[in-house]
Amino acid sequence: MNAPVTDAKSSGALLELDGLTRRFGAFTALSAVDLTIRAGEVHCLLGENGAGKSTLCNLVFGMHPPSEGEMRVEGKPYRPVGPRDALAAGIAMVHQHFSLVDEMSVVDNLMLGRVRGILDRRGWARRLDGLAERYGLALAPFARVGDLSIGERQRVEIVKCLMLEPRLLILDEPTAVLLPDEIRSLLGVCRRVAEEGAAVLLVTHKLAEIREAADRATVLRQGQVAATSEAPAREIERLVRAMIRRDLDTLDSAMAATLGVAEAGPAEKPDKPKPAEIPAGPDVLQIDNISQRDADGATRLNGVTLTLRAGEIVGLAGVEGNGQSELGLILAGLRAPDSGRLFLGEQDLTGRKPTAFTQAGIGIVPEDRHRVGAIVDMSVAENIFLNRTGDFTRFGLLRRQAMYDAAAEMMQRFDVRATGPDARFGRLSGGNQQKAVLARELTAPGLRFLLAAQPTRGLDVGAVEAVYALIREAASRGVAVLLISSELDEVLTVAHRIAVIYRGRIVGERPSDPRHRNAIGAMMAGQAAPEEPAISEKAA
Amino acid sequence: MSASSTLLGTGRAPLGLLVPVLAVLTAALAGIALIAMLGVPFRDALESFVDGTIGSPYAISVSLNRSVVYALIGLGFILANRAGLTNVGGEGQIAVGGIAATALALQHGVGALPFGLAFLVPLLGATLAGTAWGALAGVLKARIGTNEVISTLLLSFIAVWLVYWCVQSTALLRQPMTSAATLPESLPVPEATQIPLLTGDAAAPVTAGLLAAIVLAVVVALVLTRSRFGFQLHAVGLNPTAATRAGFSYATTVVTALAIAGAFGGLAGGLMLLGEQYSLRAGFSSGYGYDGLVVGLLSRGSVLGVIAASLLFGFLRSAGISMEMGASIPTALIQVMQGLIILTVAGAAYWLDRRDAGH
Amino acid sequence: MTAALLAVFIGSSIRLAMPLLLAAIGELISERAGVLNMSIEGMMLAGAFGGAVGAWATGSPSLGLLVGLLAALPVALIQAFLTVVLRANQIVTGLGLNILVLGATTLAYREIFGARSRETIPGFPAWTPPLLGDIPVFGEAVFRQVWLVYAAIVVVILAAFVLRQTAIGIALTAAGDDPRTLERAGLSVEALRFGAILMTGMLAALAGTFLSIGDIHTFTEGMTNGAGYLAIAAVIFGNWTVGRTVVACFVFGAATALQFQLPAIGLDVPNALLIMMPYLLAFLAVAGLVGRQTAPRALATPFRR
Repeated sequence: MNAPVTDAKSSGALLELDGLTRRFGAFTALSAVDLTIRAGEVHCLLGENGAGKSTLCNLVFGMHPPSEGEMRVEGKPYRPVGPRDALAAGIAMVHQHFSLVDEMSVVDNLMLGRVRGILDRRGWARRLDGLAERYGLALAPFARVGDLSIGERQRVEIVKCLMLEPRLLILDEPTAVLLPDEIRSLLGVCRRVAEEGAAVLLVTHKLAEIREAADRATVLRQGQVAATSEAPAREIERLVRAMIRRDLDTLDSAMAATLGVAEAGPAEKPDKPKPAEIPAGPDVLQIDNISQRDADGATRLNGVTLTLRAGEIVGLAGVEGNGQSELGLILAGLRAPDSGRLFLGEQDLTGRKPTAFTQAGIGIVPEDRHRVGAIVDMSVAENIFLNRTGDFTRFGLLRRQAMYDAAAEMMQRFDVRATGPDARFGRLSGGNQQKAVLARELTAPGLRFLLAAQPTRGLDVGAVEAVYALIREAASRGVAVLLISSELDEVLTVAHRIAVIYRGRIVGERPSDPRHRNAIGAMMAGQAAPEEPAISEKAA
Repeated sequence: MSASSTLLGTGRAPLGLLVPVLAVLTAALAGIALIAMLGVPFRDALESFVDGTIGSPYAISVSLNRSVVYALIGLGFILANRAGLTNVGGEGQIAVGGIAATALALQHGVGALPFGLAFLVPLLGATLAGTAWGALAGVLKARIGTNEVISTLLLSFIAVWLVYWCVQSTALLRQPMTSAATLPESLPVPEATQIPLLTGDAAAPVTAGLLAAIVLAVVVALVLTRSRFGFQLHAVGLNPTAATRAGFSYATTVVTALAIAGAFGGLAGGLMLLGEQYSLRAGFSSGYGYDGLVVGLLSRGSVLGVIAASLLFGFLRSAGISMEMGASIPTALIQVMQGLIILTVAGAAYWLDRRDAGH
Repeated sequence: MTAALLAVFIGSSIRLAMPLLLAAIGELISERAGVLNMSIEGMMLAGAFGGAVGAWATGSPSLGLLVGLLAALPVALIQAFLTVVLRANQIVTGLGLNILVLGATTLAYREIFGARSRETIPGFPAWTPPLLGDIPVFGEAVFRQVWLVYAAIVVVILAAFVLRQTAIGIALTAAGDDPRTLERAGLSVEALRFGAILMTGMLAALAGTFLSIGDIHTFTEGMTNGAGYLAIAAVIFGNWTVGRTVVACFVFGAATALQFQLPAIGLDVPNALLIMMPYLLAFLAVAGLVGRQTAPRALATPFRR
């Protein structure tokens, strides 16, 4: 795009990106991207994970310099060397991960970097109240941020940006951690901000959000602009095709799930896969009335009871932050529940060590691959045999060569692509990392139960399919699988049976059938499930 | 992770070697400049430098004995550091080792034990005392998450003043007061409890501690590169949660690692006491623990690095003492040089690490 | 203990606590910003040396004070450059600087003073504030102090105010707890930490000059003798807050004063125990026996983008 500067100005261009490129070593994260964002619009930036969305945001916000290309704000060259320059240019950003100091109060967080000299805490508390009225974002000004809920922290982040009266507000996947209600109100705030004349750049990979809020949309694919749309709500299908280079018709429903295509309505195919038959194996895992409080005393799990049978895949659906992480840690043996018991067959595992869990036949694909699932600075081989180093030990000495040979075999079997067993785990793509983790967990001798927590997050399309196949294969040989996911469609696709967790409670259970979508969705949002069967689609 | 990369440190060989060499050269130049400023004839300075380090079998022996202490602290440091722990407590671990060694050596009957037990028993006691001192920090870290830098530092001060207390009070280890001039120190340890000399010749008093250090260096190298325990330390150091999930207990690893570092420190203290000082005095550890920590840090995790740095520091310390006596050059000169080496290498870690991250 | 003895005890506790207090508040500023500044010992020593040399050369303790501040500046600059810009290990840098400063001041002292060592150096006189000095028994014994004592109290109050009530205060807290967030707020972690270390250097230098030209009017080799580490212990025992750090300093000061008072009272407490007590108290604090400790989360961690 060689649009002259004057043209851009006349069309109300606020931010123009011209041939923006960013390389990290040999990897090109963003390649010659042209993009124009106009004042008064909500501009959605779409793309799969790893398509370059976050990199683009970080360049605009001055976190990294571009390798090539130029940025202009209102026609004038814009070359930020840090967030400070971005803020000075009227660009504010809500990051994917919170940037709040937990130890400080809400107003102190708001004032951080914004004021000089003596603090006027009362004055800022009043400003906060004013903003709260304008956008419907209520907050207790003197509460410690660390004590707030996830939704409230998100609100602090947004208020922090709004207080700057920004000309451009960037939101990098802000809805991942929010409840449906909170998402709706957030999108409302976006519209409100745009109506007041500022621009909003909303990064998402959920098509439903585009329908609700977007004026225009740009799709990134492998670091390049794959499509732009002036009327995204009416062009969902084209945008999805651009995102993944495939038609929705041929889209595996599992993949549609990660994209949230089904939620977008028009694209949804009438014949979702039939709910698979629930195998009637013996009971394997019994979660019996487990409760857990966090360090601050807040209840995270509240009497969770669930039984899984051999060969069965149970989906645990829920918006993130409703106790799934805590349950995952308990099932991995990393934390003991405050009350309740955990049985694998007849064996009581409550309060036992992780080793006991592994020996009893529990495999874990944790939601946090980098923190719990693997040691990124060790080799692939060392990670594949992390819990079985004993097999390669003689007289206390580790036989590394034997381990590397065995790992090479495993990598072939599970299609883990790397330069070799000695490659650093952190250098692998997300998909290959996850396959390596699965290789370790699925080959554990005597595996009876597998926990797969958010197993496809951050993976590309091909890897998602591979992960599903591995999970199904495990179930077919009699392993009980608990699939924790915040993507309703993923659970509907893979699981035989679905339990819904909300605020640390199992609030309901349904067979895995698309006709229960609304009922399950309502339960995930904390509303009582509508009367069965709930098949009617509500018009948007 | 090959064996050689651990032996040579994580830095690429050329730069990883160049930096310490440049640091030592810089320090040497600074030392020469200072000697010139002090007005000491350069020939005198050099003469006493050589006299104190390699000029005689005696000088070499004494320097080696000093290096042994540095090496032990450094080895303990890199072992604990493999588990992500920074043991700042060497000084205190030496101090409690010295106290335990003295107390046991002066115990009635210990001096009469056969088969070398006379010195092995106090040495074992010293090692155990150091183990306990190190493990204490480990337990706090594992149970309530106390930063081991802070706890080992404080434990060092406490231990150093414990030595002072021991030699001030006749109820503890102070020799019986016969006059007002009785020095605040313990009785000398019996001859049988002293560490035997390798040469058997007082003119070259290098002790059996050297053998112990060599054996332990090999063991530590083997543990770090080849053993499952070394793997465990590394795993816990890199990612405690994933390591725990894989069955390596975080608490056990942390306590064991700091206990071993403490054991090395205690052993070093015992060797200092029974191999060189022979009676307990206030401040006998005189900074060996802190210098040993620096040795461990400068080595960048490699056993060969520890050996090189401990030899450097051991011979430098001897040089300082000799130059003070022979050429009236204050030992402070050596302190300046040592400080410069530490700062240069510490600052250069930036480039070394950047290369590591980018390979 | 008689009232007169008590008065002397309080007076000397204050006098002994003051350098500690200045250094500890300085250290607190660095640590709140995330820098475990072990070189505080070297900074104090440089300040003490500079103060002594300056006062001796010019005959004016005030100019000595200025020289003392200047002498600590390079130490602080090196610490800041290595740990903030080059992201060197904070502990190694601190220990290295302490050895360097100990060596350098000793060498320089012998060069400058040579045979004249132990010479008395012009120092600040003691001064009794009006009104307070008129209190019977206690007036003179407690309040007759070098004016630096009163200046130190003002400095501490100022520091507490800055940390709690100003923009710099919350920025420092953020630099120590969550530097990434601070950076995203458009502030420079490096600048804040650099500045904090320089501030620590100045306060430590003030503490050092207090030792040499405020208190005993002479310089001895390595005269800080671990006072810097004591200041670090005070910050730890003070749980990284101004209020509790001040209390810790006075407790430590009183423990030191007690060493000299014990013979007068006729109590048989081992001297070593009193010297050890500050470290023991700090250790008990980090061992979780004195409430919950909350160190800044990013303490001693270099900041990487």
